[in-house]
Amino acid sequence: MIEFRDVGKRFADGTVGLESLTLTARAGEITVLVGPSGCGKTTSLRTVNRMVEITSGSVHLDGRDVAAADPAELRRGIGYVIQQAGLFPHRRVIDNVATVPVLQGLSRREARARAAEVLERVGLEAFAQRWPAQLSGGQQQRVGVARALAGDAPVLLMDEPFSAVDPVVRVELQDELLRLQADLGKTILFVTHDIDEAIRLGDRVAVMRVGGRLAQFAPPDELLAAPVDDFVAGFVGRDRGYRRLGFVPATALRLVDLPTRADANGSSGVPEEWTVLLDGAERPAAWLGPDGARHDLGSLYVTDDHDAASDGAGTLRGALDAALSSPAGRGVAVDGQGRYRGGVEADDVLALLDRGRETERSVARPGDTRR
Amino acid sequence: MRAFGYDIDQLVIAHVLLAVVPVLVGLLVALPLGWWAHRSRPARRVLVPLSGALYTVPSLALIVFIPVVLGTPILSPVNVGITLTVYTVALLVRSVAEALDAVPDTITTAAIAVGYRSAGLLFGVQLPLAVPVLTAGLRVASVSAFSLVTVGALVGIPSLGTLMTDGFQQDYTAMVVTGIVGSVVLAFLFDALWLALGRSLTPWTRARTGV
Ligand SMILES: Nc1ncnc2c1ncn2[C@@H]1O[C@H](COP(=O)(O)OP(=O)(O)O)[C@@H](O)[C@H]1O
Ligand SMILES: [Mg+2]
Repeated sequence: MIEFRDVGKRFADGTVGLESLTLTARAGEITVLVGPSGCGKTTSLRTVNRMVEITSGSVHLDGRDVAAADPAELRRGIGYVIQQAGLFPHRRVIDNVATVPVLQGLSRREARARAAEVLERVGLEAFAQRWPAQLSGGQQQRVGVARALAGDAPVLLMDEPFSAVDPVVRVELQDELLRLQADLGKTILFVTHDIDEAIRLGDRVAVMRVGGRLAQFAPPDELLAAPVDDFVAGFVGRDRGYRRLGFVPATALRLVDLPTRADANGSSGVPEEWTVLLDGAERPAAWLGPDGARHDLGSLYVTDDHDAASDGAGTLRGALDAALSSPAGRGVAVDGQGRYRGGVEADDVLALLDRGRETERSVARPGDTRR
Repeated sequence: MRAFGYDIDQLVIAHVLLAVVPVLVGLLVALPLGWWAHRSRPARRVLVPLSGALYTVPSLALIVFIPVVLGTPILSPVNVGITLTVYTVALLVRSVAEALDAVPDTITTAAIAVGYRSAGLLFGVQLPLAVPVLTAGLRVASVSAFSLVTVGALVGIPSLGTLMTDGFQQDYTAMVVTGIVGSVVLAFLFDALWLALGRSLTPWTRARTGV
């Protein structure tokens, strides 16, 4: 558990980095600090491992005031991941990861063994002997995470760790972090300026304004459903209703039956209504329209979308996307293997959303089922 | 091997020792000074211009001036050694400071964040990363030391320069040429040695980038 108690930081030049931050990052959870550039996110993070010395208040790690600790010792017990990974270019991947165990006093051999374990855990064992310059940005970032994990620290500080990689890789890295977190249950303080990332990763999200002032500190669904003021509302975005869809599990969504036909027989007659053509493995191949032509399926609704609830439902956003992007006015639902499951009506999705609004507070977050 | 009435082997050994020892001692002195200049702005404001100014003092002046200051015998090779050490320090203080400056902030930040103290940071991270820039500086210092050693011959300190001064006095061209070629070859050999050493310490710089 990380507690900020009335933490203030005034830099030597008079800049106020933090006014008075009071916040608790619960043990075993991902707490995200999000806010515009310069609002004090990095400063907050660095007060925890004393790379920034605070000028008022106190920071407590598992109940102990960090001011009482030796800074270097303190840092060896806290994993830290930064934006450009910050790998040591003169050390091979394995030795980068072994850095903290070596600093903690393990022999080089033991430290390498520990590093090899961690690399295996993040699926990078094949890269152990490479130099950092031989890795892609995303791989470097994963090594950065591995290095932070190698010290077996219960606490991780992550400062915009995925901001420098392209959006596709970013999502992969986020997924991987969630997967690791489900196993490891670290106390993570994660900084980002990207509200989508905050909502995706955070068990609780702290929206900050300049000066490190907390605008709102709440679980993501609450932040989206009930922003406390215009600043937070603006920050979480005008399209937050839509974003929120991406977030609500579509457990209760009814799938409808659609007319289907084997693709091999597709040309045997023009159908009365929109019909899904299935390939030999039961996977949708195309729509066959009443005009007799083949049409794109549009986006598919994957019922057991991996980042959604664990009970086999995708998210409402995925369902709505499928319904709205289909030429037939109904979306096609598939399972994780891409096999046809049924159809999705946009009206059903919207009805569910309305019901969700009414029972706002009782909506289970998909995040709660992660671990 | 003897030629022109000299023991050439001994001249070569003297030449090499007179050039290489000051370069290495100079490097050892320049490291803390350069680190200081890297760390402290006031220190840098004094050290960098001062070392630049030192380099402009003529070598012969230093060689004859040092015995006056230090009380060493006028014919002692130490005078040449100290002169070359001073030049090396003058050249390398700035190299060291700039080499340390050139280590990216993200890397020093990461090193501090994983729990390095300043000594570990310097020897484990900053210096290894400074090796390419340091090697470049060291090579300049070394080449210049190998040529400056010959100046010592003017005041009677033996080296391959002795072949040049004596050959010149005796109007013996082959002897002068031998002295010049010999000192150039030695300078090249050691240049190649520093280059190879620098490369062997920095295998990561040759790692193919990309995947
Ligand atoms: N070492 C420093 N000296 C003076 N001002 C600083 C220093 N570090 C950060 N600041 C200032 O403190 C404020 C917060 O910075 P920071 O925590 O880095 O913001 P963020 O990470 O949210 O972008 C900014 O106004 C920044 O300019
Ligand atoms: Mg920042």
